[in-house]
Amino acid sequence: MITELRLDTLPTEHEAEKASNSYLMSLVALIGGLPLPIVNLIATFFFFVANRRGTYFVRWHCTQALLSQVSLIFVNGFGFWWTMSIIFGDRSWSNAYFAYIFTLLLFNLIEFIATVFSAVQTRKGIQVEWWLYGEITHRLVKP
Amino acid sequence: MKGIILKVALLITLFFGVYLLLFQIDWMQLFQIESRKESTETKLGELFWDFFKQNETELESELIYDSLDSLVKVLCKYNDIDRESIKLHILEKDEINAFALPDGHIVVFTGLIKEAESPEALTGVLAHEIAHDQLKHVMKKLVREVGLSVLLSTATGGGGAETIKSMAKMLSSKAFDREMEKEADLEAVKYMLKAKINPEDFASFLYTLSDPHAEFSRQLAWISTHPESQERAKYVLDAIPYDSQFRILLHDSTWEEVKAELH
Repeated sequence: MITELRLDTLPTEHEAEKASNSYLMSLVALIGGLPLPIVNLIATFFFFVANRRGTYFVRWHCTQALLSQVSLIFVNGFGFWWTMSIIFGDRSWSNAYFAYIFTLLLFNLIEFIATVFSAVQTRKGIQVEWWLYGEITHRLVKP
Repeated sequence: MKGIILKVALLITLFFGVYLLLFQIDWMQLFQIESRKESTETKLGELFWDFFKQNETELESELIYDSLDSLVKVLCKYNDIDRESIKLHILEKDEINAFALPDGHIVVFTGLIKEAESPEALTGVLAHEIAHDQLKHVMKKLVREVGLSVLLSTATGGGGAETIKSMAKMLSSKAFDREMEKEADLEAVKYMLKAKINPEDFASFLYTLSDPHAEFSRQLAWISTHPESQERAKYVLDAIPYDSQFRILLHDSTWEEVKAELH
């Protein structure tokens, strides 16, 4: 799921802090922005834009953090509008809804744990690569 | 690139796999959603009806109550609606109004009965209010207007007298949105046609009440809260098939007795 790599050149203290903050940004925004699912994506995106001219290590982690948020936005966005349509619209509670919400919560929980872990490890200067997202990030971010 | 696509496909499959697995659980039963909804609706219905009962006078005429009850019975019988789920109340008030409260409480003012030209017209209004109840419009409107948390706290005894009063007033004087009104009108026509009741008088009642020069326009709470009445009359008429045959609801003599007792 998550691969840890020792880098040949360790990132500086400042780089490690910025890279770690990219993950923290999504967590802080997630807590602050509930229940709107877009807030954490926007926060991570702005952090990504602010650091797009940073060092390779910082850019790499900002991108991985952003990608992880992008995939969840679809899942969370759909869940959010489904909930709204039950509360304010014509839809009603159903087994399908609860199954979706619990699936959503499970995937969010996994993402949450992975984000906390990544924030801690990158702060120590350790390269953390997520399954799938790490690969996509490698294709997008070049040294 | 192929590896990435495969992993994306795997992730999506995993997501829907978990979803399908969780879908096997009967969450509605587990969380007792239906019974919770029903008890909330029952409590709200009782609270609102108590408010009207305390502030208005309930009509005591058995003849009028029995006549209206017979109209409701016909509608329920031919539309598979449990008659016991509809609680009919008649209040002595000159305002031309009728409205639905949660849990099947239907309130009719004597002013509306006086103004109805035939039992069919009155049945149309009753069918319209029953449709609001059956289509769950009342609870939806309440959730939209006051929010789920206020409703739940009111149902569990946490709402103050002022909250109940303002919600009860809102239910009696503010229309549903246009879409819900149309849906209730068309559902009412369906109920009437299934029960072989002619909806033409209901349409003409709507049309008459929409006349701004009518003497009674000041009392027209029901119609003024239901916009575009002429348009409503038109689509009610459009929904009636040409070759329908209709039943006689009340004998003329009974209807005249009802009217006489009100005047």
